[in-house]
Parts: sequence; structure tokens; C-alpha cells
Amino acid sequence: MISRDGIAGLVCLVASLGLLALTRGMPKPALVPIGPAFYPRILFVVTAVLSLALVVTDLARRRRPAVPPVRYRLVLLAFVIFGAYVFLLPWLGYRVATFLFVAGLQTALEWPRLRWARGLSVALATTLVTYYVFEVYLSVLLPRGRLTGF
Amino acid sequence: MFGYLLASLAEIVRPAYLLPLSIGTLAGMIGGSLPGVTITMTIILVLPFTFALDPLQGLAAMTGVYVGGSAGGLVTACLLGIPGTPSAIATTFDGFPMARKGEPGRAVWLGTWASVFGGLLGAAFLIGATGPLAAFALEFGPWEYFSLFIFALSMVAGLTEASLLKGLLSGAIGLIVTVIGSDPIMAVPRLTLGTEFLRSGFQFLPVLIGIFAFAQIMTDLERMGGNVAPPRVEAPSLAVSHLSVIREILSRPFLLLWSTLIGVWIGVLPAIGGSAANVMAYDQAKKFSKRPEKFGTGIPEGVIASESSNNANVGGSLVTIMAFGIPGDAVTAVMLGAMIIHGIQPGPLFISQEPRVAYGIFAAYLVAHPVMLVLQWLGARFYLRVVQVPKSVLIPVVLVLCTVGAYALNNIIENVYVLLIFGVLGYLLVKFRFPLAPLILGVILGDQIEVNLVRALMTDADPWLFLTRPLSGGMLLASVASVGLALWQHRRQQRMGAAAQAGAPDTDF
Repeated sequence: MISRDGIAGLVCLVASLGLLALTRGMPKPALVPIGPAFYPRILFVVTAVLSLALVVTDLARRRRPAVPPVRYRLVLLAFVIFGAYVFLLPWLGYRVATFLFVAGLQTALEWPRLRWARGLSVALATTLVTYYVFEVYLSVLLPRGRLTGF
Repeated sequence: MFGYLLASLAEIVRPAYLLPLSIGTLAGMIGGSLPGVTITMTIILVLPFTFALDPLQGLAAMTGVYVGGSAGGLVTACLLGIPGTPSAIATTFDGFPMARKGEPGRAVWLGTWASVFGGLLGAAFLIGATGPLAAFALEFGPWEYFSLFIFALSMVAGLTEASLLKGLLSGAIGLIVTVIGSDPIMAVPRLTLGTEFLRSGFQFLPVLIGIFAFAQIMTDLERMGGNVAPPRVEAPSLAVSHLSVIREILSRPFLLLWSTLIGVWIGVLPAIGGSAANVMAYDQAKKFSKRPEKFGTGIPEGVIASESSNNANVGGSLVTIMAFGIPGDAVTAVMLGAMIIHGIQPGPLFISQEPRVAYGIFAAYLVAHPVMLVLQWLGARFYLRVVQVPKSVLIPVVLVLCTVGAYALNNIIENVYVLLIFGVLGYLLVKFRFPLAPLILGVILGDQIEVNLVRALMTDADPWLFLTRPLSGGMLLASVASVGLALWQHRRQQRMGAAAQAGAPDTDF
């Protein structure tokens, strides 16, 4: 039976072989002996060998470490909310998207014991402070929304 | 040398430099106080705020974060028994019992003053050793550089607590990240999947933020499992006679010097960071002590050893960065990245080509210690209250800062996408128990490894030169030896049944 190490090794093996295959299309230089594919090929071969060794070591191991149960619900939720934030940034603009993100993630993390006043004030303060520090003080032009124009 | 140093000290104490240095030190101390927020993370979060500053201002702020972070962890370590950073782990062993015995002020200030003395002794080493070491490194050709980088990578990969194979694979993944984009010799696009954005490769900062920040935040979320109220903290009085505390430290000169030397030495060596320095110094202090049985009961030697070593460690790490351009661990990798982002290329030529910035960093490192002392005096009780900030408030704010930091690098949204991609990758790697330090070192050194390999082979196509040139061959041999040693240690640990427990959190990533 394969464990986490073996799975990780297999994924790395497939990825490194896939990347190695992609180097076949790279041009060969006419003037210099070493082309752009030279170093990546060495690297992908080394990675493939290490990955294979990880798989073999895992298969050969008799005792497998116990994996403790982990609560992934909040992690998944945080990734989904952050993914939505990243997606919405160019559409809603920094100020609207950030306010919604901070308020939304706080709500998700505090559910069901919500503190609306604190949540909204933290969201507002984070948005305003970061906006003024970066946009006004550091001259970083933060994203404007295509939908909001704001 | 002293002329440059004095001029730099005069420059650093000007408000234009002292202010960012002080703010950086304060940020480091707050970040260091927060359990779960490492110095690495604090440096990452502060870095975007320094983009608009001139390089020396920015690097003064980053140096302040590094110094402040190394000292910041001691307040919670002493008063709550929770090390704010891994570099304060050993401080809890005696600092916390001392505080519980009714001497919280003595515990905190012994740690603070020991940090100052250790840090200043580390600074003496930094200032004295960087120049000669850089001059030595000037003798290096591309063969030696290639071998040096491989040595650093193999040390970091080999000394990780997880398996050796995973350490090496993690480093290899970091190197793969750097081959995406135009090749450094001919500028031919590689593995860009036809996208214009990938032609210039992945920017260092979004990759770094994604990997470290998400790995840490998401691991924290796993442990949260709901809305957990932060601990209620009563801030005790920290009043103490500073003279007696200083006398207590200086009456143990051998302990102070030995712990400082351990810190500096571990800082210079690639692969081992402050988290190892404080524990090793504590262990040594116990071994040399006439009353080893008292360690762990709240004696000053334990606090002095731990805190003087972890701040001296910063000086040693900076030597390796500034003389050779190689980072020793995750924190110094981020510091090196910060220098590169500010247009500084650390290495043997750095000190001769950029003396103002190099000596400015020395001066900032020196000045950061008294600044840290003042900030500790003003705010130690406040740092204790920082741990009361709920994670549900802290995490969204930190993620926003990460996003802005990634975006502000080039003002392009694609960097935020990179942040998300590497955030997922970083979390997955942690879940599969891959160490992150070799990966980040691979990302930092990847381009240099390729450039020096190709340059060496274009100068002379004979690959045996990597082995037959004495320094290069010696370093490659040392790489093989370090991997062999790590393999032997892992085998021995497995035989002794002391292999790392699955699922245990990786404290230093």
C-alpha cells in the first residue's frame, strides 16, 4: 500500500518526466555549445531520480507513520474565499473586494459566534489603512474594478 | 573600515534612517511576540512597505525586523511559556519558571540585555569578518560558486528534520521554479506555455509569500477548528534594577562569550538557524555548568545562553549573506531576497562596490540593538497583549497584506495569481511533510547555479574541473559528505525508533 510519501514521489516523478518531455522542443543554439535545455534537463533527471527513490523507499517501508485526523473544513473555506477574492479583485477593485474579503473570511472563521460590529470595523480599517499607506504614501496604484470603476 | 563605519553610524542615526529602522524593529518585536508568526513571516509582511524607500532605508528597516524579531519572542516565552518564535524556544525553559517564581521583570530583562550583548558581540564579528571573507570569495571562479551553492543547498536539504529525500526534492522543486521563463544566457523562453507573463519567470516575492504565508496560516487554521477565544492575559509588572541585571550577565563572561560564539558559528553555517542556535547554546551552558540540575527551574544562565546566542546568530547569518551571497536558512533567504528586491546583489563584490550600503547595514545592525532595548522598555507589556488578538481577525489582515505585497512588486494582478498558486503548493508541500527551507533556497540560488554552471562549461568544457579545482572539489566533496552524514543520521534515528512523528507541526518551515 502506498502512503503520502509514495503519492508525493509519484506526482513529482510524473511532473519531472512531463517537464523533461517539454524540453525537447527547445531550440539548439548555433553559436554556443550549451543551449537553453541543457540545465533544465539535468535538473528534471535529478528530480525524477529523487522522486523514484522516494516512491521505492515508501514501498519498501514496513511501518507506516500514523496520520492524525486533521480538520480541513476551515482550510478549504479559507482557500475558496481567498480564491474568490483574487478572482474578484480586477472586477470589483481593491477597496470593495478587500472589504468583502476581510468581512467574509472573519465571518467564516468566527461562525456561528459572530461579532458584526468588530468584523465590519476590522474590514473597513484594513481596507482604508492599506489603501492609504500603499496608494497614497507608497504610490502603488491598487487595482480598480472593471465593474465598479472604483 | 572604521572611517566607513563611523560615517555610516552617523548616517543611520539621522531621522530618515532611524525612523524606518525603529519601525522595523517594532514590527519585528510585535511579530516575534505573536506565537505562530515567525520572523520569516514578519519580514515578508514588512518588505512591501519598504519598496518606496531608498535601499539603505529599506534594508535598515529589514535589519530592524530581523533583530527585533529575534528578541521579540522572549516576552511571551518568559511570561506565558509560549515562544513567540522558534528562536526563543530555549528561553522558555528557564525564563518561564523564573517568571512564575515571581520574577517576571528579571526574566524579561535578563533576556533583553543578553540579546543586546549577544547581538553587539555578533556585530563585532559581522564587521570584522565580512571583509576578509569577501576578499577570500573574490578568488572564486564559476566552478567554485557553483560548488558553493550546491554545498549550501545540500546542507539545508540534508539537515531538515523530515526525510533527506524530501529535503533534496524540495530543493529541486525550488530550482525548477527558476527554470521557468527566459534562460539566463540566450533569453530563450522555456516552459512558458506560450504566456507572455511567464517569459520573465516567477518573481521571487509572490512565490515566497505564497509558500511561507499560506503554509503557516492554513496550518494554524487546521488547529483552530472553530472560534477559539484567545487567552486572557494579565500583564505583570516588569520593574527591575537594570544595573543588577547587567551585573548578573557580565558576571558570567564565559557563558556570554561561549553562547555568542555558538550563535555566530551556527549563523555562519548554511542550513542551521536561530531555532537551533538557542537550543544548542542552552545545552552547552547546561553541560559546562557546575549546577546542571538547576537548569529548567528558572536560573539566569538558561535565559542568558538562549537569548545571547539567538541574537548573535543574526550577525553570523548576515556575514554569510554579505560575503558569499548565500542564505543560511529560511529567514536569511528572505533577507537576501529583500536585498535583491532593493537592487542590492550581495556577494564578494558587495562590500567593495557598495560600501555605503554594506556599512549602512552594519551600522543599522548595531543601532537596532539599543533601539530594541528602548522599545522593549516602552512596550513589553503591550507585546504581551498582542497575543490576545484573535486569529479570526489576524488571518484576514495578514492575507490582505500578502496580496498587496505581491501586487505592489510590479503593480500587476498576475503576481497575485502566482501568490495563490504557490500558496496552494506551499500548503500541499507542508501536508506531505516536505521542508520549505530547501525549496526557498532553491528559488533564490537557482539562477546563480545555472549561470555559473553554464559559464564554467563555456570557459572550459572539461566537467572534471569542478572536481579537480581544489576549492570547488572540496566543496562538492563536502556536499556529498553532508548528504552522507544526513543519511547516516536519519538511519540511526530510525534504528533508535526516534524518527520524526508524523503529523507533528513543522515549527520553522
